[in-house]
Amino acid sequence: MTRWAITVDLSRCVGCQTCTSSCKHANATAPGVQWRKVLDFEVGSFPDVARAFVPVGCMHCEEPSCLEVCPSTATRKRDDGIVTIDYDICIGCSYCIVACPYQARYRVDAPEPAYGRGRQMRHEAVRADPKRLGVAQKCTLCADRIDSGLATGLVPGLDEAATPACVASCISGALQMGDLDDPESNVSQLLREHAHSRMHEDLGNGPGFYYLHERAGPDAAPAGPPPMAEDPPGLAAVSPRLQTQWDWRAAMNFILGGSGTGLFAANMLAGPSSWWIALLALAMVGVGLAHVWAEIGKPWRFLNVYRHPQMSWMTREAMIALPFFALGGLGWLMGVAGLGPARLAGAAGALFALGFLYAQGRILRAAKGIPLWRRPEIVALILATGLAEGAGLLAALLVALEWPVPGWLPGALVLLLGLRFVAWRRFRTHIRRDGAPTKAIAALNACPALTFAPQAALAALTLVALLPLWAPVGELALFLAGLGAAASGWAFKYNLITRAAYDQGYALNRMPARGAGKSRAGLQPGWTRA
Amino acid sequence: MKTSVASYCYQCVAGPDLMRVDIEDGVPVGIRPSEAAEAIHPAHGKVCVKAFGLIQKTNNPHRIKTPMLRTNPKKGRGEDPGWKPVSWDEALGLICARLNAVREKGLLDESGFPRVAASFGGGGTPTSYMGTFPAFLAAWGPVDMSFGSGQGVKCYHSEHLYGEFWHRAFTVCPDTPLVEYIISFGANVEASGGVCGVRRHADARDRGAKRVQVEPHLSVTGACSAEWVPIRPKTDPAFMFALVHVLLHEVERARLDLPFLKERSSSPYLVAENGYYLRDPETRKPLIWDRKRGQAVPFDTEGADPALEGSFTASGLEIGPDDTEWRHENAPVQTAFAKLVEHVAPYSPEWAGEICDVPAETIRKVAFDYLDHARVGATTMVDGQEMPLRPVAISLGKTVSNGWGGYECTWARTLMAVLVGALEVPGGTLGTTVRLNRPADNRWSSVVPGPDGFMNYPMNPTKKGEWVESGPSRHAHQTLVPLAANSPWSQALGPTHLAWMWQGKGAEHLPKPTPPDVWFVYRTNPAISFWDTGKVEDAIANFPFTVAFAYTLDETNHMADVLLPECTDLEGLQLIRIGGSKYIEQFWDHQGFALRDPAAKPMGEAKDFTWISTQLAKGTGLLEKYNAAINRGAHGVRLYGEGWDHSLEPGEEHGVEEIWDATCRAASAELTGGEAHDGLEYFREHGFRTRPFPRARWYLYPAMVEQGLRFELPYQERLKRIGAELGARLHEKGITWWDRQLREYEPLPHYQDLPGLWSQALEEAYDVRIGDYPFWLLTARSMQYSWGGNVAIQMIHEVAANVAGHGGVVMNPQAAARLGVEEGDVVRILSPSAETSGRAILRQGIRPDTLLMIGQFDHWKTPFAAGHRAPSMNALTPMLMALTDATGSGADLVRVRVEKGGRP
Repeated sequence: MTRWAITVDLSRCVGCQTCTSSCKHANATAPGVQWRKVLDFEVGSFPDVARAFVPVGCMHCEEPSCLEVCPSTATRKRDDGIVTIDYDICIGCSYCIVACPYQARYRVDAPEPAYGRGRQMRHEAVRADPKRLGVAQKCTLCADRIDSGLATGLVPGLDEAATPACVASCISGALQMGDLDDPESNVSQLLREHAHSRMHEDLGNGPGFYYLHERAGPDAAPAGPPPMAEDPPGLAAVSPRLQTQWDWRAAMNFILGGSGTGLFAANMLAGPSSWWIALLALAMVGVGLAHVWAEIGKPWRFLNVYRHPQMSWMTREAMIALPFFALGGLGWLMGVAGLGPARLAGAAGALFALGFLYAQGRILRAAKGIPLWRRPEIVALILATGLAEGAGLLAALLVALEWPVPGWLPGALVLLLGLRFVAWRRFRTHIRRDGAPTKAIAALNACPALTFAPQAALAALTLVALLPLWAPVGELALFLAGLGAAASGWAFKYNLITRAAYDQGYALNRMPARGAGKSRAGLQPGWTRA
Repeated sequence: MKTSVASYCYQCVAGPDLMRVDIEDGVPVGIRPSEAAEAIHPAHGKVCVKAFGLIQKTNNPHRIKTPMLRTNPKKGRGEDPGWKPVSWDEALGLICARLNAVREKGLLDESGFPRVAASFGGGGTPTSYMGTFPAFLAAWGPVDMSFGSGQGVKCYHSEHLYGEFWHRAFTVCPDTPLVEYIISFGANVEASGGVCGVRRHADARDRGAKRVQVEPHLSVTGACSAEWVPIRPKTDPAFMFALVHVLLHEVERARLDLPFLKERSSSPYLVAENGYYLRDPETRKPLIWDRKRGQAVPFDTEGADPALEGSFTASGLEIGPDDTEWRHENAPVQTAFAKLVEHVAPYSPEWAGEICDVPAETIRKVAFDYLDHARVGATTMVDGQEMPLRPVAISLGKTVSNGWGGYECTWARTLMAVLVGALEVPGGTLGTTVRLNRPADNRWSSVVPGPDGFMNYPMNPTKKGEWVESGPSRHAHQTLVPLAANSPWSQALGPTHLAWMWQGKGAEHLPKPTPPDVWFVYRTNPAISFWDTGKVEDAIANFPFTVAFAYTLDETNHMADVLLPECTDLEGLQLIRIGGSKYIEQFWDHQGFALRDPAAKPMGEAKDFTWISTQLAKGTGLLEKYNAAINRGAHGVRLYGEGWDHSLEPGEEHGVEEIWDATCRAASAELTGGEAHDGLEYFREHGFRTRPFPRARWYLYPAMVEQGLRFELPYQERLKRIGAELGARLHEKGITWWDRQLREYEPLPHYQDLPGLWSQALEEAYDVRIGDYPFWLLTARSMQYSWGGNVAIQMIHEVAANVAGHGGVVMNPQAAARLGVEEGDVVRILSPSAETSGRAILRQGIRPDTLLMIGQFDHWKTPFAAGHRAPSMNALTPMLMALTDATGSGADLVRVRVEKGGRP
């Protein structure tokens, strides 16, 4: 077998960006798109400071998290380890972009000439590739060069024409490419001769990019996980940045999808109180999905979302949505017509609603590039908040419409608020324990929606409804508590998707020994445990 | 259709490097390394990031596409030139009319200065793009090159001049392929050493070599070094003197390379009481003390055993300035080495540590490590020849080796090499090119015997009757700077800021400054790249007729009268020399020629530079002289040689391809000793042609041994003498404004308080309290930009942003915190003479008393770049006589203060 990999001798790299530029030429990438780039790291404080340059890009992982999430199967992995994107089937959902912990993927929706619209240069026109618009793009490891080289008997990594452009252009010899499975290959030898590490090793992607920090030997320091640095000055370019691929439209899917499915389930449990509420719930989920549709780069390829049920939770969400809408819609039709099996259909629909909600939690969980989303605790939190929002909305609606409120509903709401709070606390506690991007934590802290005080207030308000008071007081309390339960969930999710969604950022496990110098601990900038 | 052509990149002084240009449907679309050159190029045929900018450069929509004439006679930043597109006939007609008028008036003006001036940027690199224009200039006659685009203030000026003087080293370099220990004082080789430098230093690191980077901020090169020593700005001479002190006062003498000192340096020469060598009255040769005979004998006496140190009593002749003679009988004399030992006694690491803000132990350790790695006594075989192996070197950066302090640093650096025998030997400190000595393309052959057992040097004369009172350059390089010599490069290496400074009121007792009647400007933008840019701008606006070979509009050609669009890098045709031993790290195992084959048809009406040159020659009636100059090789290759003649018919106009075909044939013949005569087609197919260049030629040592020559160190008797003579000449003429500079001519340089010198000069010039300007503002080269003239290229801007420090002012976070400045804040940076503003970039890798602005920006006209609002120190740095050293250069730094707020 063959497993192509890249080694970076950090002692050699001078940060010149020749590889960055060469890649831009070889692949005619748009301004601002850098499939390969070199980061500038600095560690320590004056006068004890070290600086290193770190090439990054698609790591062509063993377990690519982009591939797992891709709903269209546009992202695939070849037998030789190269992770590819089929521009013809990609729907441009950007899920892979938020799932990549190496910030290696881009999406460009419209041609952006280097000197602005109307000033397209000759070479930009010649090399324009409309197929690449609106879809995910990233380093291909110059698979075309590798393949055509192999076909003519060349050796990738040794023969320039068969070697990725970045490696072929590297002026210091820092970048090397070769076959990991061949123990005699250039990269296998380099790995034997040097102490090395991979970026974000703990995430388990198995990146195919190895950073060499010093010669192997008894004195060579192992590269453990780097210490976090909360907010080191001057390192913004390598620290986590707010993802912008999934914007308010994605947030609307989580808000409306969560509340809608929660409402549908709660409503079914309630009797249903009204088939019109069921219809509202279905509409909410539908509108949520429409927002996603409006966000994807290739909306008319949306059916490709169904191509990857084996792995992608986005596919699964879309698949679950079908029986949910079908059964929910059928239940509504029959319910409005007063037909008997309506409740059965509705109940089945509610099960799929819960499935949909769960899928939403799993979608975030699989977005490995966003530290706050990928937390295991996110699934329970998304489930709990969806249900709490649904129960809250149901209560508020019933009060507002002056329809009878089932007696168990306030109690259920209190219970769900409690469960949600527990889920929230677990989420926060584990973030504190494991660390997260400093700015993500700040953003999370800036939105107190799910914290104790508001949630306790909502629970207390709900309990007021249970007290034998003058009915309008109880109803008002329940109305406010229900609305609050929903609104606090919405605020949390809006914040989670659009404001706290800082990406993984970069980290360097070990600063290189430069020549006869010594290596030293690297760092994970912009991360904190608090 | 996809094709590719061979080309080269010589955008920076560390080139040229070879590449291929990929073409699709007639459009250049990509750059890639030259795989074919892998075996002959020190960096395996690679080109750096700048080369990749050439695709956008060629296709840039902002290019000037037709000749343009100015319609607004008023010039200035605020004036709209009113550019009018015209035909080439009209533009060339206008220029030739001007030139013919000049010829009629006389080539020199009333002040004796050439009426035609020319400025080219990038350390001479434009010649690789200007086709046969040098032949036109040669045909023309005197042309003033003294208006610098950055020379003297942005170059390694003292290194250039003293380097050429001491070891034919216009540029100095470690023998990187063999070196094991480098002390680098601010030399930013990973940014400015080109691909050869980067590759070789990476290889050196890989084999365990150690580089200690001594500089106030952690540059890219500092990042790539084993150790960073954050020295206080402009105190490097103290550090280096302390290194010399340690070697001479803290280690056993036997650990130095005593044979080298005795036989290859002036160490044993006896110095008499007036500071000049004691000489044999008969032969006038300097004397040494022969321990065998127990008496003073001429330095070249066979079988003598020279005393390295000691005081003796001897008789002889001492020759001072203007042939003043003193006869000594049994007078006390000392060896030059003994004087050196005495001279550096006060310069201990403890003394230097205070000045440099570096622990004395660090300095001491660096000195010991240097000595340990020098391996005194070791030898190696090079091309079958046994040579000393001394794998230690010291590199100097720009601000260390120009301006005041440059002499001290270059002297101490070269001396450090001499003490361990590491000068011009394998592993040690090498020169890599000559510009002032001749032949220009062969450093080795430039080693010819001069006076006193040293190499010859073409000093500008200082003796009475020989001194050039006013030469044909507006900065008086022949008058003021003996070391600048008078080669075709000398004008560009004179005190170029004086040419700009004096455009206003001139200098007392020198000819009245005049603007040139016609100024040609190509691949340079002094209105941005020089100092005190406001003043330079005013001077340019005052030039009556400026012809700019223009790529885009820019700050300098905004004041031009004619813009001529020439084929840029990828559109023009040219053959240049490659390999051998050239600039910076460009010393190869091969030498030959490379072709720049057009990758595209010219955009718009752009024309090949060779075509333009031919038309100018024709239009000025100089065709015959121009063709003769080409035949002589003014454009790079002599067209005839022993056994071959590819000369052009002098009286005829020749086409671009015809000229370069003949050139290719001559190049083939030169490389093969007349066997091959392949022309353009051969080079189009192969891209380049080379033959081996013997590695032994990297080192001067064998030539010095063969000719029995010595390096003129440590004692600078010759400089002392010419300094005294120069002073006498200037004073005879009433010139006293150069007196401070005359103090540089010391036989053994003393430490001078450079920070104090700057403070005093600025306080006196601007009536300020220097305490109000607590920061040193420095600059650093950027691999993405330096020399490239590529600020208008979007891709370069984009990728350069990945390297911290571009586009703002770099500050230490502690210093920033004291001022309440946070990352990204806009700050005003004020020097005593001007101010600018930019965004704060916080980095730990800079001293709290230092600020850094990378590159040269502040553009207000260049398309794309004008929108960046990137600050530059150039506007803030004054041109002052008090800050001009004896070589006519200034150091690239200034004192500033920082205030919050400013232009966003």
